[in-house]
Amino acid sequence: MKSKRKLMDYKSLAISFHSVTFAVLTVITLGPLLYAVWISFFNFRLSVPGGEKQFIGLQNYIEVFKDPNALGSILTTFKFMIIAVTFEVILGFLLAVAINSLPKHQKIITTFILIPMMVAPLVVGLMYSFFLNPQFGFYAWVISTFHLPLPLSILSHPTGALFTVALTDVWEWTPYLTIMFLAGLQSIDTESFEAARVDGATPWQTFRYITVPLMIPVITVAIILRAMETFKEFDKPFILTGGGPGSATEVIDMFTYREAFVNFNFSYAAAVCVILFIILLICGILYGKFVMERGEK
Amino acid sequence: MTGIRSKKFNHVFIYLFLIAFIVLTLLPYVWLILTSFKTRLDAFSMPPKWIFSPILSNYKEAFLDKGFLLNLRNSIIVTAFSTFFSLIIGLPSAYAFSRFPIKGDRILLYYLLGTRFTPVVALALPLYLIMSKVGLLDTFVGIVIAHTTFNLPFVVWMMRGFFDMVPRQIDEAAKVDGCSWPRIFLRIAIPLSRSGLAATAVFCAVNSWNEFFMALILTGRGTATMPVAVPGLLTPQGTLWGQIAAVGTVITIPVLIFAILVQKNMVKGMTMGAVK
Repeated sequence: MKSKRKLMDYKSLAISFHSVTFAVLTVITLGPLLYAVWISFFNFRLSVPGGEKQFIGLQNYIEVFKDPNALGSILTTFKFMIIAVTFEVILGFLLAVAINSLPKHQKIITTFILIPMMVAPLVVGLMYSFFLNPQFGFYAWVISTFHLPLPLSILSHPTGALFTVALTDVWEWTPYLTIMFLAGLQSIDTESFEAARVDGATPWQTFRYITVPLMIPVITVAIILRAMETFKEFDKPFILTGGGPGSATEVIDMFTYREAFVNFNFSYAAAVCVILFIILLICGILYGKFVMERGEK
Repeated sequence: MTGIRSKKFNHVFIYLFLIAFIVLTLLPYVWLILTSFKTRLDAFSMPPKWIFSPILSNYKEAFLDKGFLLNLRNSIIVTAFSTFFSLIIGLPSAYAFSRFPIKGDRILLYYLLGTRFTPVVALALPLYLIMSKVGLLDTFVGIVIAHTTFNLPFVVWMMRGFFDMVPRQIDEAAKVDGCSWPRIFLRIAIPLSRSGLAATAVFCAVNSWNEFFMALILTGRGTATMPVAVPGLLTPQGTLWGQIAAVGTVITIPVLIFAILVQKNMVKGMTMGAVK
């Protein structure tokens, strides 16, 4: 009886504590999102007067799936994602294992490792465009001094540009995965290692059969998280390549930006946003399931 | 004996690897900072110059002559208000998630995650259209609302974890003393989780300070934050690299200082959820 009353108390308390937060959140996020869904069914664009009230159903969505630029930008985003996330996970894991094996100085080394993550993405883009400048950049100097077989103006080469933009993302976000993996490594029960040592396992066997399997969940979370974040990539390609050369680095957000704020095709851009949102929602549900189920254990 | 020696050798190897990695990754950034103190001639010299006589004229030209002082002010206003409002609005809910578990929690948490992972464009576009209708474009209110869309879910998510770390026995003791829940929340839970709160505040501030996309679309001449004003230095007559480097340095240095101050709790907050 008593516990039931306590639960009732909690309910009204919970409601009063949550109400303001979720009311504000709904007004500033869900509201605008629903508005985006709404206008995606209309013909709202600057070139069509009164198009805002002209209902055209799924026409915008059909157009997206016929638009080679839209599909191309989705493909570019996936390429970008695969390059960036692969390097981030491998490097992040190596760094975490290396830091974790140190007897001391872990904190100071982590501090230095974290720096790139704090640099504004726009500044990262600027920094690299200066660093990679074919006339006076540090990169050009290294290439010509050591006669490396790399293109001097790497950003005007389609594949080179995509790799470069992806690598700026690796530069910025590897630290995040490093601290995540480091936290994961440090949360592994020392008992498992003890048991393995007693059983005479070599360090490599311990790593391969204990550390790696226990880290799989953390790695999965990291991959989902970073994969979702790459859909938000805008600042770095915007400043570094402007989407070029051609459309080699035009990721989905750059495409949407151009449609919405350069060509002013609001409804069409909204349709792209809704599709993007659905893709991310699926990733988000995966992530949420993973995190929350683990949280309950 | 050989075991210890090989272990020591391994450690040396690992230190070398980590230091090499750090030097290599920080090189472009250090290069940017050095450039901000260089004359045009030094900045473009080949081979690159490590030793030069530093000057401050890039800073003077950018901040005084080009008006970046105004953008600096705008950045501070936007960052301060969006962080403040996100904390004020988000803290009660974070506390409720930690202390008053109810049936609908799970749905609310999914909702929160959903807003956290919403693509920026999907919000920026409708916000732009709505704000242009109600006259909030190029106002601080508009951009602060926009930044609150991503900082608010973040506060709830991160602070929920920090409130979980406050021992529950304290609540019980306070209840016995006749403290009401709102009082426990304000007078006990918040002060006890102040280091987590500081880390959350810094993280929100960094998000807002570094944010570019929303600010690009929603701000105008009078409200442009520093990141938005930077591309203005890429002029058709040539890029003003020295000044760009100076502004880049001013954007990043405060962030680094604050981040290092709250490093421990920020790392904890960022890895929470992924590692339980």
